[in-house]
Amino acid sequence: MTPASLSGGPEPAARAAVVSVPVGATRRAWWRTHSAQRYVFGYTLLAPAALYVLLLVGAPFVFSLWLAVSDANVSDPVARFIGLENFRSAWEMETFWIAFQNSVVFLVVAAIFKSVLGTSLAFLLLQQFKGKKLIRGLVVIPFTLPIAISVLSWKWMYDSQFSVINWALSRAGLIGGYGSPDWPIWLGQPHLALAACIAVNVWRTFPFSAIVLLAGFTAVPLEVLDAAKVDGCTFMQRFRHVVVPMIFPILMIGFLFDTVFTLSDLSVVYLLTQGGPGNASKILPVLAYQVGIQAGNLGRGAAIALFLVPLLFPALFLVLRNLKRREW
Amino acid sequence: MTGVVQAVAPPRTKRQKELRRHLLVYAGLAPFVLIAVFPIYWMLITAFKQEPDLYRMDNIPFWFNLPPTLKNFEILFYQTNYGAWIVNTMTISAWVALITLLTAVPAGYALARLRLPGAENIGITIFLTYLVPAIILFLPLSRVIATLGLQDSWWALVVVYPTFTVPFCTWLMMGFFKTVPMEMEEAARVDGCGQLGALVRVVLPVSLPGVLTSVIFAFTLSMQDFLYGLAFVSPGDQKPVPVGVPTELIRGDVFFWGSLMGAALLVGLPVAILYNFFLDRFIQGITGGVVK
Repeated sequence: MTPASLSGGPEPAARAAVVSVPVGATRRAWWRTHSAQRYVFGYTLLAPAALYVLLLVGAPFVFSLWLAVSDANVSDPVARFIGLENFRSAWEMETFWIAFQNSVVFLVVAAIFKSVLGTSLAFLLLQQFKGKKLIRGLVVIPFTLPIAISVLSWKWMYDSQFSVINWALSRAGLIGGYGSPDWPIWLGQPHLALAACIAVNVWRTFPFSAIVLLAGFTAVPLEVLDAAKVDGCTFMQRFRHVVVPMIFPILMIGFLFDTVFTLSDLSVVYLLTQGGPGNASKILPVLAYQVGIQAGNLGRGAAIALFLVPLLFPALFLVLRNLKRREW
Repeated sequence: MTGVVQAVAPPRTKRQKELRRHLLVYAGLAPFVLIAVFPIYWMLITAFKQEPDLYRMDNIPFWFNLPPTLKNFEILFYQTNYGAWIVNTMTISAWVALITLLTAVPAGYALARLRLPGAENIGITIFLTYLVPAIILFLPLSRVIATLGLQDSWWALVVVYPTFTVPFCTWLMMGFFKTVPMEMEEAARVDGCGQLGALVRVVLPVSLPGVLTSVIFAFTLSMQDFLYGLAFVSPGDQKPVPVGVPTELIRGDVFFWGSLMGAALLVGLPVAILYNFFLDRFIQGITGGVVK
């Protein structure tokens, strides 16, 4: 369908003109014209949603900028402007840099595992086989289960003494029994704790990567691939020059969404380790929560959270560009 | 018998080939299914195990070594606020769904169908707010909640959850309304319906699947939240399930793993299954209709 026929083309206006001729189209006031009424109706329908978003997302976002440059805290409701003091003190906090580094490590390592697992799974699900629907349904459960709930399962599996993972490793002879020096305490040892949290994030989101990729693959029309085949393209050439460019936009979007959600999610780390032991698995969202809510220092908490913006901004920009290109 | 086998020999090799391909695919998928499902299986079996059965390292833990029990669920319903959390969760989600419907459906319609100036940019802007993470908004929103006097009640969540369901569902409904043929509305207008009449009597009924999808997402997306519930609601009996279970059932170092897992699964599993059916719509939504 052409855009004209989708949006109704010129007919409604023409019809309106026919209907309104006896009334005298030229003498009507502007607000009674067909399109003015349509605009009023349209913006009225739009208003509730727009107001909600403006008041509860837009305004708070601006307000968080103000909090970040004020000395607001929970006990004292009157906030004063203190410039970039909060950012400076965050900058000088050792914990901040640990959390920053952990956040970046978390994001990058998780992304690598997710893309490898997600791509392999997507290729497998691309095959035709019996029971595909069921298997697909099972594999995506980690993504659809509410995160705060599935983390509990992991907390139990990472138990210091009764961990089922350790039980299996121990039975397989890879580690000694409980109490032996190579018995891993997943959430209690600095490097293991961060790795354990990353593993949960990978577990939760690799199905998402796979499904997004799959959606991309199925968007590539078979005729195009066949045409390329007829023209003598090898498999790699078809992949490189046909499939990749066609699925690139959707891959980008999936990747960016995942970046936003991974960077800003605190539930995995908060529920598993609270950022511990020490600060070994602390990431920026957890730090922002601890400073802003638990310590009551709203200003500094907001400043720490805002440090995520430069990390998120490229993501937002690219999504925006991509959405602009969608068919209207 | 042998004669028959010989006669169908060529198709059989084809079938063997097919069988081998199937086996290969299954073998490839097996580890993925195992990784994905094991934690859920582990929750399920833990929920029905007797307490001593959880702490025996000499037995194989993957099955019951003592007879299964419902005691963990009894504890949950008689000794904790679990029942209240379920009611809270359902009530919160219902309110969120209602608010989402009343705002997102008209907005999606207006942006998709009425050729408003700037509709495209408004639509994208609303959708992008879905990407503003909770971690940036929760501190300023805590002030908003305090000003409204809603701190320490689940009503706080009714106010904040639409901050992500409204943008997402508006976007979803926009895509949905675009697929409804314009002619239907025009016919209704010709038949004497007003603008609102055409929407309510003609377009909405055929868009019911889309409206239903929005309701489902209002529910499932609300259930995915943890941060807002953690930050805004502290009284034990006001929490929704995903927040109440990890924060109230874990006290100090004593873990009632059986009850914990039961509590998590009883609500988590239905949500996961429901979400499962609508996952493709979610992906379609966030990829902005790149995939048709």
